[in-house]
Amino acid sequence: MAYPFSSDHEMIREVLSDFLQNWYENGKGPERIYQSGKSFDENIWSRFAEDLGMAGVAISEDFGGGGLDDLGRVVVMEELGASLCAIPFLTTGGVVVDIISKIAKNQFKEEYLQKIAKGKIKGIFCPGHLSEEKKCINSANADTADFILISRLKNKIIEVVCLKVGTPGLEINSKKTIDPTRSFSDVDWSQVSDRDFLPIGTAEINFFTDIISQSQISLAAECVGGAQKCLDMTLEYTSQRVQFGRPIASFQAIKHRCADMFILIETARSAVYAAAVATKDKKTESSLIAKAYATEAFFKVAGDAIQLHGGIGFTWEYPLHLFFKRSRANRSMFGMPSEDYKLLADNIFGDKP
Amino acid sequence: MSDLRNKFSKWMENNFCGEYECLRGRATPGDEDAFPGLRLKWEREMGAAGWIGIGWPTEFGGKGATLDEIVGFNEEYASHGGPGRAGHIGETLLAPTIIAFGTDQQKARYLPGIKAGKEFWCQGYSEPNAGSDLSNIKTKASLENNQWVINGQKIWTSLAMDSDYIFVVARAAEGSKGRQGLVFLLVKLDQPGIEIRPIKQMSGTAEFNEVFFDGAVCSNEDIIGGVGDGWKIAMALLGFERGASTLGQQMTFADEFRQIVDLAKANGSAKNPLIRQRIAKSYAGLKIMRFTALRTLEAAEKGDTTKEGYISKIFWSSWHRELGELAMDVMGKEAEILKNGEYNKLQKLFLFSRSDTIYGGTNQIQRNIIAERALGMPKEPRGGGTVMKG
Repeated sequence: MAYPFSSDHEMIREVLSDFLQNWYENGKGPERIYQSGKSFDENIWSRFAEDLGMAGVAISEDFGGGGLDDLGRVVVMEELGASLCAIPFLTTGGVVVDIISKIAKNQFKEEYLQKIAKGKIKGIFCPGHLSEEKKCINSANADTADFILISRLKNKIIEVVCLKVGTPGLEINSKKTIDPTRSFSDVDWSQVSDRDFLPIGTAEINFFTDIISQSQISLAAECVGGAQKCLDMTLEYTSQRVQFGRPIASFQAIKHRCADMFILIETARSAVYAAAVATKDKKTESSLIAKAYATEAFFKVAGDAIQLHGGIGFTWEYPLHLFFKRSRANRSMFGMPSEDYKLLADNIFGDKP
Repeated sequence: MSDLRNKFSKWMENNFCGEYECLRGRATPGDEDAFPGLRLKWEREMGAAGWIGIGWPTEFGGKGATLDEIVGFNEEYASHGGPGRAGHIGETLLAPTIIAFGTDQQKARYLPGIKAGKEFWCQGYSEPNAGSDLSNIKTKASLENNQWVINGQKIWTSLAMDSDYIFVVARAAEGSKGRQGLVFLLVKLDQPGIEIRPIKQMSGTAEFNEVFFDGAVCSNEDIIGGVGDGWKIAMALLGFERGASTLGQQMTFADEFRQIVDLAKANGSAKNPLIRQRIAKSYAGLKIMRFTALRTLEAAEKGDTTKEGYISKIFWSSWHRELGELAMDVMGKEAEILKNGEYNKLQKLFLFSRSDTIYGGTNQIQRNIIAERALGMPKEPRGGGTVMKG
């Protein structure tokens, strides 16, 4: 059991890895989703949530969850990344669980968290307080949600409200995307009547800093899992592919590229684990670094994996393109890496040009 | 903060001052030839107060400090601006080797001098034709009248000019090749058969040397292990550096980084968005370097060997070389100008950091090591040209 994980973490990793790789089936799992025209597999979600109890891995045990910390979610996200499993854990099991756990009143908490833990409902969060407009562009997993949490600014306090999908006036328009393994939709609640918003709690503005950190760590963990899978596939392929009478893995050009992939993955991994265990005062910065670095690392590694696979690497039949597309999609989530680095620079210089 | 760390912090505060003030932040790689005499005196100061060899077992005069305490010690040392440690090769590399493999006589003879900060060691591994291919050692050692007679040449020997002794890997068995037939010898430098010549680097400084052996001698009692054990001992020695000092090294890096940020603010290059992106990436790299070192150390503390340890050298050296390039770009037009006819600290950093990715195993060798040991890829062919299966 490797630092910083406990035996609980290792246990869920083992169970999940088998379960998800089984589903992944050398790329056939994601391909089936793509062919089905749906954005995710209801069946795998209910088994993931109900049988394995993973949807609520971060929900308190009082509400039927797993009661694990950020590291628990890191494990789940790594394994989801390695299988490109199209289920909405990042949103439902992540930000939604955190917001409800931290600010909702007991009755709401009890009902929603228990249902989430059982896989009965899925939700997303739209940070409405960031804009005047009552809509959210390119929201992940919105088309599979049963309810939507929306934040809105009211006298410098943020109010979070809940909106059930199906409420008159609520529009969710899913889009066709390059990455077929995660859906993006525009959510518009401008036409929803005021009385249909169910208030669930209020929070200070900096509350959302922690919420964002958690999502950044989860996304970064997914990148590490995906990148590791790309390297594993590359090591396997290059050890079997023979050219000039020897496995191409014996050429230094290949070995050195794989070494560089390993360096990126392990440093990204360090960043993710450090952010997951960071104390409160270091959380914001370390999560930002983890997210910026890991999304870039995944993109680079996925591209390298295609290169080292030669011709088969850029076919539709072989699953590497799915990892490459996911890695690109992740660069666009929660801000581009260049925006993250801009923020970091502003902090370093203590100014904002 | 641990007791030991606390105590050391106070000691540094009370003792690293006065005449030693000028050593603050000095003698880091690229500057290791600064104030040689005073630095050796500083080592004696550290030794007399019992701060050398804190990680050694108590029976050899150490404090049996835990890895955490050693890390804390190194961080305190760096945060007080302590100069590069002239005795680190003896303290952190040779001493643990003697403790693990040496005879009682060798322990009694050599450990006290290291611990007191009075005897300094350098490492005689590389040769003109044994660089990346380290086992291609040609320096010969032959046993005559119960003493080893050494002929040959070592190169890239750090700090030889300030050292009293050198540990030498030499070929003892006639006709042996590669890792076979080597011996590991402890040799006094001040003797007629040895000549040391400094190598001036592109940074203008000279911390590496050539060491020539022309009938130099050491006693038969000064061999660690037996004939044929030289390679094993030489590699074990490198393994004793478990990375505890890397966190101290990173604090030096952090100082350099901070200096570049300050300069960027002062000369306006902080307004350049591309410079800002590079500064932010450099900062992220520095943090990640620390996170990775801590991860490796935590694992080591639990007795696990983890694979990410293999990336340490290539990651820090590449990061540091880029920092040097960034420093020059932040300096802008002034980067090319010598004030007072000398390289300033950042210019030295820029020039010396070109060697970071070469010494101690080039980046190319590091990639081979990572590919073969961490990833299990096929090994490089040796000599005959056949590819061995990994």
